[in-house]
Amino acid sequence: MNLLGPQRLVVRSLVRAAFSAFVLSVRLRVISPWSYLNWLVFPLLFAIVGLYVLSLPGAGSSHLVYGVLGGGLIGYWSVAYIDAGNGIQDERWNGTLEQIFATPTPLWVILLGKVCGGLLFGLFAFVPTAAAAFFGFHAVLPALDPWRFVISLGVLTLSFFCIAITMAPLFALWRWAFSMINGFELGVYILCGFMFPVAVLAPWAQGVAGFLAPTWAVKALYAATVAQGPHDFAAWWAVTSGLSLAYLAGAYFLYALVEREARVSGELALV
Amino acid sequence: MKHLGLEAGVFARSLYLQYVALFQWATVRGYIAYKVLLPVTQILFFVELGVYATGRQNALYFALGNALQLTANAGIFGVIATVANERQYGTLPILLASPANRLVTFMSRAVVNVIDGIATVVIGLAIVVVLFGLDLRQANLPLLGLCVVIISVTTAGLGLMFGSIGLVMRDAIIVANIVYYLLLIICGINFPVSRLPGALQVLAYSLPLTRGVQAARDAAAGATLGHVSGLLAGELLVGAAWALGGYFLFRGLENWSRRGGLQEAY
Repeated sequence: MNLLGPQRLVVRSLVRAAFSAFVLSVRLRVISPWSYLNWLVFPLLFAIVGLYVLSLPGAGSSHLVYGVLGGGLIGYWSVAYIDAGNGIQDERWNGTLEQIFATPTPLWVILLGKVCGGLLFGLFAFVPTAAAAFFGFHAVLPALDPWRFVISLGVLTLSFFCIAITMAPLFALWRWAFSMINGFELGVYILCGFMFPVAVLAPWAQGVAGFLAPTWAVKALYAATVAQGPHDFAAWWAVTSGLSLAYLAGAYFLYALVEREARVSGELALV
Repeated sequence: MKHLGLEAGVFARSLYLQYVALFQWATVRGYIAYKVLLPVTQILFFVELGVYATGRQNALYFALGNALQLTANAGIFGVIATVANERQYGTLPILLASPANRLVTFMSRAVVNVIDGIATVVIGLAIVVVLFGLDLRQANLPLLGLCVVIISVTTAGLGLMFGSIGLVMRDAIIVANIVYYLLLIICGINFPVSRLPGALQVLAYSLPLTRGVQAARDAAAGATLGHVSGLLAGELLVGAAWALGGYFLFRGLENWSRRGGLQEAY
């Protein structure tokens, strides 16, 4: 019996479904004013505040690199956890949750496409913030190591992807979880070192930050832009990837819970 | 006298209903998320950023500025969300069809948020005292309290202006986000206004917070009312101008939205 044929068909149909979800999510973001707030306005405002503060008299010139990239990282994170993380919640708001569960395509495949669409817009956040740094403050990245920078950005994207995939069922199961993480948004900026190094924090805070996957990827990203300081890229990428996969393992149980609420008890649309 | 009593009744009922129906943080979890976690992390973030940039000796500058800017959390987000929520819950056409005095209804929408703004700053200042050792022994505390009250009122005035836009705009809360974070740049919260380009400095002094925060910084350093009276008078004037502008915009947009049937346009 040749299983290769049917298997290939199944994979192709799943890829097609994920791609359709990706296209739809991109199209929805093009017309959503919230999307522009998250990837354009919000990071730009934070970048400007950051650049002003980091260029105050007495601030080291090497600090400006945090202003150049910090706003973009903030925007990227915001899109990842708000837009991509609300992948299931949005369907509930739009009244399409039941239809999605009724389709033969697994939920995670649809979310995969949606999250990728969100992350694509998140990457755009670096464009306005870098432009503001260059044209407004004449700030550039001093010693960019392009390959390590690109790999670090890829690893960071992996961590944001895993977090978004994990948060999607979390936000759907417990609505208050979004409020809490939304309220703690600036706390994430602190712990992940988006606009200043984690090393300036209290030791206990650095310990907490160590459990967050983006912290290590952000560390690698900044290390790829400056010549001085430690450059343990392989270790940082490995820790980020390991933690991200651990989040995915946790997400597996959350998706099982979502399935149970949606299909067995039928209460997902009610919680 | 009877007319005044009636208006006071409308004001009191509207104030109560605004709290029970439209105060979106009136749950324990909501309040913790947006009124405790957000202020704490905002202060911590900007203090750590400032300390990283300029050294630990300037921590209080950033801590105090951001603690005072928290009034905008209630004054801008709260007030704009009030009108936006009326629209979202489908009660805006009913409100606009009522014969109640618009000014009274309009002002009552802001009062709960002013009180909430004061509470938020108290939380913020308590955090600054505990975490950053803000020494208030030399401070003119009654004057600092007066500054906090005035800032809360004036930011609510700005909120009323932008809240009016909610009459004709579906996602007015986006405007709240932009205005809230714009105030962080323009109003001398994290760096002096003098560092901004000339045009932005003019804008800074035409917004609430700028003079109020300056006065509060002086009060925390022990200044007397005489020293900061000019700043506080200017702050009140700016706040009143924005509130009045907001009222007229509200009336104008009310007519426009009624003509175009935009109150329920989602």
